[in-house]
Amino acid sequence: MGRITEYYHATSLEDAFAKAKQLGPVAAYVGGGVELVLRRNPEITVLIDLSRCGLDYITAAREGIEIGSQTTLTTISRSADIRQYAGGSLSWWAGHIAHNNLRDMITVGGVIGRNQPWNDVVPHLVALGAQVRLFDGAERITPLAGYIEAKQPGIIIKGVLLPAGNAGSNGFLWRFTRTLQDISTLHFSALVSSDGKLMTAANLVFAGRPGHTALYPGLSEELVGKSLSHETFARVAEMAPDLVEVGTDLRATGEFRRELVRAAIVNLEEHMTGVAQ
Amino acid sequence: MTISIAVNTVERSFDVQPDEVLLDVLRREGYLEVKGSCHAGDCGACTVLLDGRPVASCLTLVAKVDGHAVTTVRGIGDQAHPHVLQEAFVKNGATQCGYCAPGAITSAKALLDENPDPTEEEIRLAMDSNYCRCTGYEQQVEAVLDAAAQLRKEHKK
Ligand SMILES: Cc1cc2nc3c(=O)[nH]c(=O)nc-3n(C[C@H](O)[C@H](O)[C@H](O)COP(=O)(O)OP(=O)(O)OC[C@H]3O[C@@H](n4cnc5c(N)ncnc54)[C@H](O)[C@@H]3O)c2cc1C
Ligand code: FES
Ligand code: FES
Repeated sequence: MGRITEYYHATSLEDAFAKAKQLGPVAAYVGGGVELVLRRNPEITVLIDLSRCGLDYITAAREGIEIGSQTTLTTISRSADIRQYAGGSLSWWAGHIAHNNLRDMITVGGVIGRNQPWNDVVPHLVALGAQVRLFDGAERITPLAGYIEAKQPGIIIKGVLLPAGNAGSNGFLWRFTRTLQDISTLHFSALVSSDGKLMTAANLVFAGRPGHTALYPGLSEELVGKSLSHETFARVAEMAPDLVEVGTDLRATGEFRRELVRAAIVNLEEHMTGVAQ
Repeated sequence: MTISIAVNTVERSFDVQPDEVLLDVLRREGYLEVKGSCHAGDCGACTVLLDGRPVASCLTLVAKVDGHAVTTVRGIGDQAHPHVLQEAFVKNGATQCGYCAPGAITSAKALLDENPDPTEEEIRLAMDSNYCRCTGYEQQVEAVLDAAAQLRKEHKK
C-alpha cells in the first residue's frame, strides 16, 4: 500500500467489481486490512472495502457449509456448524492462530487473497476439499486448490464452500514451529475418512516447505483402501520425505524439513490409530 | 475524508487520511491511553475494543471503523472510577512499568464480557497478543481470575 488516495466503501459485489475493473492494478479489496497495512504495496492507491457487501455469513445447506469471505477467524471458530465439521479442526485452529486482537480482524477472504507460503488456513481448507465462490460480474465456483494456482487479479472471493461429503471425515493440522507464536517451518494438513478398518479417502497437504500450499494426490492415494495399521503409515512415512518438495531457507534446512515430513505422518498415524509411536 | 466513530460512547467526527490507522488517529486526537509499540500486530499494546471485540489498532484502517464504536482502556474505567479489572491489576502486581496494561486490560475486558468464569487457559488464549516484558504473565492471569470472581460476586448481589 503506497500513498492511498481513496478509500471506497462498496455497497454491493457489483459495485466493488465495477470499481476495481475501472481502476485496474492500483486497486485492492479490503478484507480485515491487516496485510494491506503491514505490507504497504506501493502500486496500490485505492482501497475497496467489502464490509458493506453482505459477505459476513456462515450458512449450512445440503451441499455443505458456505463461509462468506468477510467472515473473521473468531466467527469461524465460534460457529456451531464448523465446530462439527471434520472433527472441528478448522474451528479449533481459527481460534488459536495469529493473536487474540487479530482473530477478529483477519478474514477468510483476506487469508486466501494473500496466501503466504506459511499461511495456516489455506492449506487446511485445501485439505478439507474447499471450493471458492468467485464473482467477476457473475458467480462461479471452483476448487480452492486450483484457484490459488492460477489466481486472477480483480476477481472477488465471495465465499468458501466446505463440501457436505467431507463433514464426517477427520481433519488434522500440524504447524511445526519454534515457538507457539512463530510461523511454520513446515505445515501439514490432512483430511482422512475411514470405515473403522480401511481408509476410504485422504487429502494430504504440505505448506511452508518453504514453498506454498501443495496437495499431494499420489501420497494421499497411498492411504486409500489401506488398513488403519502401523504398517500402512510406516510405509507412507518412509516414502513421504522423498516425495514432498522441501527446501532450505533461513528458518530450516531441507534436511530438517524432510524429518518434519516424516514426523507429520507419524503424528497422523497416532491420531488415526490412537497408538503412540 | 471525514468519519464518525463513537469513542468511549461519545460520538466524534475525525478528518483522516484514507490510509491512516486507528492507533495514529486516536493518539493524535488525544487518546494517549492507547499505546503503540511494534506497529505490526505483534505486541498487543495498541489493543482497543471495536464494537466490543479486541483489535490491534495499529493495523486497523481507520476508514473501516467509520460508523462503529471504539472503547479504549479509559472507557473501561479511569482513575476516578476504576473498573474491577484495573483494581485487580494493581492489587495483584500485574503492572510494573505499565506500558502493556491498557492493551492487556482491554483484552481481558472483552473476555469477561462474554465469559464471566474463564479458566486459566481461556485467559491465556484471550490475552495471547498482549506481550508484557515485566511481570511474567502469571500476575496478569491471577488478576483476571480475581476480577472475574469479584464481578461474579457483585452480579449475584
Ligand atoms: C502479527 C501477525 C500474526 C499472524 N499470524 C498468523 C498465523 O498464525 N497464521 C496465519 O495463517 N496467518 C497469520 N497472519 C497472517 C494473516 O492471516 C494475513 O495477514 C491475512 O492475509 C490477513 O487477512 P485480512 O483479512 O486482514 O487481509 P487483507 O489485508 O484485507 O487482504 C489480504 C489480501 O487479500 C486481498 N483480499 C481480501 N479480501 C478479498 C476478497 N474477498 N476477494 C479477493 N481478494 C481479497 C486483498 O486485496 C489483499 O491483497 C498473521 C499476521 C500478523 C500481522
Ligand atoms: S503496536 Fe499494535 S500490536 Fe504492537
Ligand atoms: S508491566 Fe511492563 S510491559 Fe507489562
